[in-house]
Amino acid sequence: MSTTVKSAPIPPSRQREKPGQPLKWIGKNMKRVEDPRLLTGQGRYIDDVDLPNMLHAAVLRSTRAHARIKSIDVSAAAALKGVVKVLTGADIARATGPLPCFSNPTVEQRCIAVGRVRHVGEAVAVVVAESRYVAEDALDLIAVKYEDLPVMSDPEEAVKATGDGVLHPERGPTNVAMQRRFTFGPVEADFAGAARIVRRRLRWPRSGAQPLETVGAVAEYESGAGKFTVHMNSSMYNYVGWTMALSLGVPAHKINLVPVIAGGSFGSKLFTHKVCVLAASLARICGRPVKYIEDRIDNLTSCDNHGSDRIYDTELALDADNRMIGLRCKVLDDYGAYFQYGVGHHGNALSQIVGPYRIRSVDLDVTAVLTNKCQQGAYRGFGSEVANFVIERMVDAAVDELGLDPVEFRRSNFIRPNDFPYKIPTGNLYDSGNYAAVLDEALRLLDYEGWRRKQAEYRKQGRYVGIGIATCQERSVFSATEFWMLNEQAGFALTSSPEGVSVKIDPLGKVVVSLNAPFWGNSPETMATMILAEQLKIDPADISIAYADTDHGLAGTGPGGSRYTVMVAGALVGAAGIIKEKLFRVAGHMLEASAGDLELRDGKVGVKGAPGLEKTIAEIAMHAHFFRLSMPDDPTLTSGMDAAYTYDHPLTTLPSDDRSDLGIFYPIMGHMCHMPVVEVDVGTGQVRFLDYIAVHDCGTLVNPMTLAGHVRGGTAQGIGTALYEQYYYDDDGQLLTANYADYLMPSVHELPENVRVGHLETPSPYTEYGIKGGGEGGRMGAPPAICSAIEDALRPLGVKIDALPITPRRLRTLIREAQPAAA
Amino acid sequence: MPTTQRITVTVNGVRYERGVEPRLLLSDFLRHELSLTGTHVGCEHGICGACTVLLDGLATRSCLCLAMQADGASVETVESLGRPDALHPVQQAFWEKHGLQCGFCTPGMLMCAVELLRANPNPDRDAIVEAIGGNLCRCTGYQNIIAAVERAAELQHAIAEVA
Amino acid sequence: MKPAPFEYERAADLASALSALARYGSEAKVLAGGQSLIPMLNLRLASVERLIDVGRLDELRYIRVDGDELRIGALTTHNAVLQSPEVAQHCPIMVEAYRLVSHHSVRNRGTIGGSLCHNDPASEMPLVANLVGATLIARSASGERAIAADKFFKGNFETALHPNELLVEVRVPIPPKGHGWSFREVSQRKGDFALVAAGAVLALDGGVCRHVRLGFRNVGATTFRLPAVEARIEGQPPGAALFAAAAEAAMTAVDPPSDLHADEAYRRDLVKVLAERVLATAAARARQ
Repeated sequence: MSTTVKSAPIPPSRQREKPGQPLKWIGKNMKRVEDPRLLTGQGRYIDDVDLPNMLHAAVLRSTRAHARIKSIDVSAAAALKGVVKVLTGADIARATGPLPCFSNPTVEQRCIAVGRVRHVGEAVAVVVAESRYVAEDALDLIAVKYEDLPVMSDPEEAVKATGDGVLHPERGPTNVAMQRRFTFGPVEADFAGAARIVRRRLRWPRSGAQPLETVGAVAEYESGAGKFTVHMNSSMYNYVGWTMALSLGVPAHKINLVPVIAGGSFGSKLFTHKVCVLAASLARICGRPVKYIEDRIDNLTSCDNHGSDRIYDTELALDADNRMIGLRCKVLDDYGAYFQYGVGHHGNALSQIVGPYRIRSVDLDVTAVLTNKCQQGAYRGFGSEVANFVIERMVDAAVDELGLDPVEFRRSNFIRPNDFPYKIPTGNLYDSGNYAAVLDEALRLLDYEGWRRKQAEYRKQGRYVGIGIATCQERSVFSATEFWMLNEQAGFALTSSPEGVSVKIDPLGKVVVSLNAPFWGNSPETMATMILAEQLKIDPADISIAYADTDHGLAGTGPGGSRYTVMVAGALVGAAGIIKEKLFRVAGHMLEASAGDLELRDGKVGVKGAPGLEKTIAEIAMHAHFFRLSMPDDPTLTSGMDAAYTYDHPLTTLPSDDRSDLGIFYPIMGHMCHMPVVEVDVGTGQVRFLDYIAVHDCGTLVNPMTLAGHVRGGTAQGIGTALYEQYYYDDDGQLLTANYADYLMPSVHELPENVRVGHLETPSPYTEYGIKGGGEGGRMGAPPAICSAIEDALRPLGVKIDALPITPRRLRTLIREAQPAAA
Repeated sequence: MPTTQRITVTVNGVRYERGVEPRLLLSDFLRHELSLTGTHVGCEHGICGACTVLLDGLATRSCLCLAMQADGASVETVESLGRPDALHPVQQAFWEKHGLQCGFCTPGMLMCAVELLRANPNPDRDAIVEAIGGNLCRCTGYQNIIAAVERAAELQHAIAEVA
Repeated sequence: MKPAPFEYERAADLASALSALARYGSEAKVLAGGQSLIPMLNLRLASVERLIDVGRLDELRYIRVDGDELRIGALTTHNAVLQSPEVAQHCPIMVEAYRLVSHHSVRNRGTIGGSLCHNDPASEMPLVANLVGATLIARSASGERAIAADKFFKGNFETALHPNELLVEVRVPIPPKGHGWSFREVSQRKGDFALVAAGAVLALDGGVCRHVRLGFRNVGATTFRLPAVEARIEGQPPGAALFAAAAEAAMTAVDPPSDLHADEAYRRDLVKVLAERVLATAAARARQ
């Protein structure tokens, strides 16, 4: 039990479906519903959307990191055959306002820069033409005159900048977008009385999602009705899509946002406001549909979703019994040129800042600074993967300084199975868990003792082999309070981040489910199919999934924060409940039985204990649709067989006014243990994997196969983050990794031959069936695990890893510096 | 008026005659001229491999090929493999082994697998890795893709035995 | 990212390719496999007025043994060379290097001639050509010339080829039986361009190293072989101490560039490590 937080009582569970019940579909490795069309090349992605009379847009990217736009001469470009319009930011701004921004106060961003560019790659003009080829030819003919301003590339310099070095002077005379210190628990006392304080400076530079498909939109404007239709590969259209209507200066019912499947997102397509607002603005101006698809360089330089970019000065306090008691971090976060989510990434981190450990006090001093780089957005972890890195690096540092065993030190500091639900010092709740069991399973799968013996042999042979360990949290199902609660003034509403679903059964008994959130490569259709098949006891083949646009949709926060399966499960249980009730009512009339005597069985509704007395769902549905008048007159029984249900967050509470308790905002808590085994070539600094274990506890699993897919895919991205990937800006703010020859992602060659995945299930007491989110998967734990393994391999040389990515050059440099004589 | 030149290309067994600008990329020719949108464009500078098709039977990045260069040649895309009710063994294997998540890299992976299995019906893991090593996947971590190609080899043997 | 417009003609045969080059010279670029050229056109890093597509010159696709030479047509694809039994037998260092070159589908289209003419500073084949003492045959409408590898490669992306010339053949002297070879590189990922590549070829005669050739790639715009370091090894019995000293000398003999992925100090480290490894492997193979 946490000793520090006195707060509002934990709300009771709203769980309707208990874990541990016999299940037919949930838990099976069902082949995905999405796949047949994707495998046959029939997936319809945004660049596959073509409208009649459609034009193509391309943007001119700024070559400067920070400059005033003195003039833009578009005359030669506009004269090129096939060009319809060439527009500057000022042209667009006549009818289109700033883009949506969820920080308070906001930081103004435009879809095409107005007056000033603030990062390399920011769009300064746009061409609309008959083809993308011609549009790009026209870009080459646009002449821009810039007046350079001081470039803020180093965040520590940017903090101190004044005058022309300030990116948004209208917001204030500083690039510090926010600075705030949060303390939870008896921090001063814990540090003053600590037996040992371990200190590290840790750097986590920005990398990014790099989905294979970029962001795009196809927009049309029907001037008669004054209505936009925008096809887009974004999420959150049924949640905050209406904010784009504000940008376009129209009421929200005059914009219909149509979801299109996305070729990957990992967060970066969370809300693609810039691309959508731009395409819509162009359609309105040109009077014809317009397609704007980012090319890869547009995306790398200007995707608005770079990952966290932080420097942590961290201290960990331990007592005389080697228990971790306090964590103190001073963080400088380089947010880039805009601030769309405020410091939501730090709120996110605060949901699990103490990791799986019984640390009782936390002090977080956050400075968010604006710089001349693409802004941060969402990338698999949304900032809490960085907190995982920090706490596990501090654990390894403590183990090293105190000469302890890395496994037993973690075990002795874990929150214990009987401690749940466990409130951490920040106020968030961990719903359930068994961290020792996950650790034991990982040790067993790895044959940890066996690898330690092999390591000893390898050391005698002069080989540098290391075993890493990271035990990390994977929070799931956010409540949107994490985006604003760190602000003085709430910048956003007190939404519970709901998820709606509609279910209807047609007269022939087949089911269509309308989802209000998109497909990203997660498996929403498969999840919805399996859960509804379970709920209604029908065959998955009788279920079809559709995606509702904003005209037809209900609330849908969408995938993100590993929330979707849990939330859509709640919505489906709710909708199925309504449908079940109606099925029983109608069947009751057909069978002359009361609803209480009926049960669902194998696609039918029948009288309990009377096998022959039943009707198929098809028969009941036909009856409900077309035979209302054969049933008694009753205004509460309407024709049809359908239900809509919006599921609110099952477990969230508000923060206290003084923010000393952030409330419960991310409680469905998964956990993982990663144990890589690596070998380091000390001559070249190259790292290769000899083994890799990833044990994940995501509560009840709907489909173990798809969850393992997220674990492996997330681990691959985590390996990329740890060893290969960085958006590297030089001192002039030029992005040196602006194509895929320089921004390096792991191919099959770079990954472990077999990421061996283990599962454990500690169900949630709060979600349907006890499901927890697992989509962010391995990226949450792989980076610190790999650092740990490399340090373990190089223990004889005393090399310490404090910064990512651990490229061969950087590692070889550390090795050379650690052993000048031996090098 | 941009100059166009006439080409004749056989795509998925169908002969097409078209006038194209010399600079038109094969990827765009397939996707927009022939409406075969199964081939995807991920980077357009030859790194990611999503655009991979078979050109005269050889795996080829279609963003690094001019349509002009395919004049007189034969191209196979993912659309030549199978239909949802009659999947090619490679497609069936990817489905069984969860070899895809977002599906964007998948057509390129499938075409690499098809080239491999035609040349080598019994590939070992190294051969599979070499065949897909130039294709990026951001979702799966590749492991299930390798398992899928192994399974495809099994399925093709089973079909051959029955035949 | 679409290329800017250009004129295009496809040469039906070698004669018409050469007459096109004679006519257009420096306004034209040769399109072979396109695996280096087309990305640059897509990124608009290179612009070109006219492309002369030589991709259908099947007469330049061959691998044959001619007396004491291996002759490879310039348009032979990388994979054809990699998979060739003749090359495996007569120029195994080329096969070993080819396993490190890019990826399978790029090697399906890219040609050995294209790679040599492109002369990317981090590409492997120019180093191999130097190590094996290859001769490059250039032909124009007015004749043919043979250019030794050590004269063919100039600075980055530059060769001795005239604008009206086409590379038609690579000739590799077949090494004596019992020679040893090794090619290694360090790149961040398999298939990437080398941060540093190294190769060694040598023979053992009477217990000492002979015909030693040691070279590196990406350690200076015009650096390939290191004759001064070769001279230290020539005539000496092979051994770890000798190779370590040679590696140390190699490390100080180069003037490597610094870039995003490797600074000068790291490249020197790699020269040293790779030198030792390629010399040891070449010597071990020579003993066989």
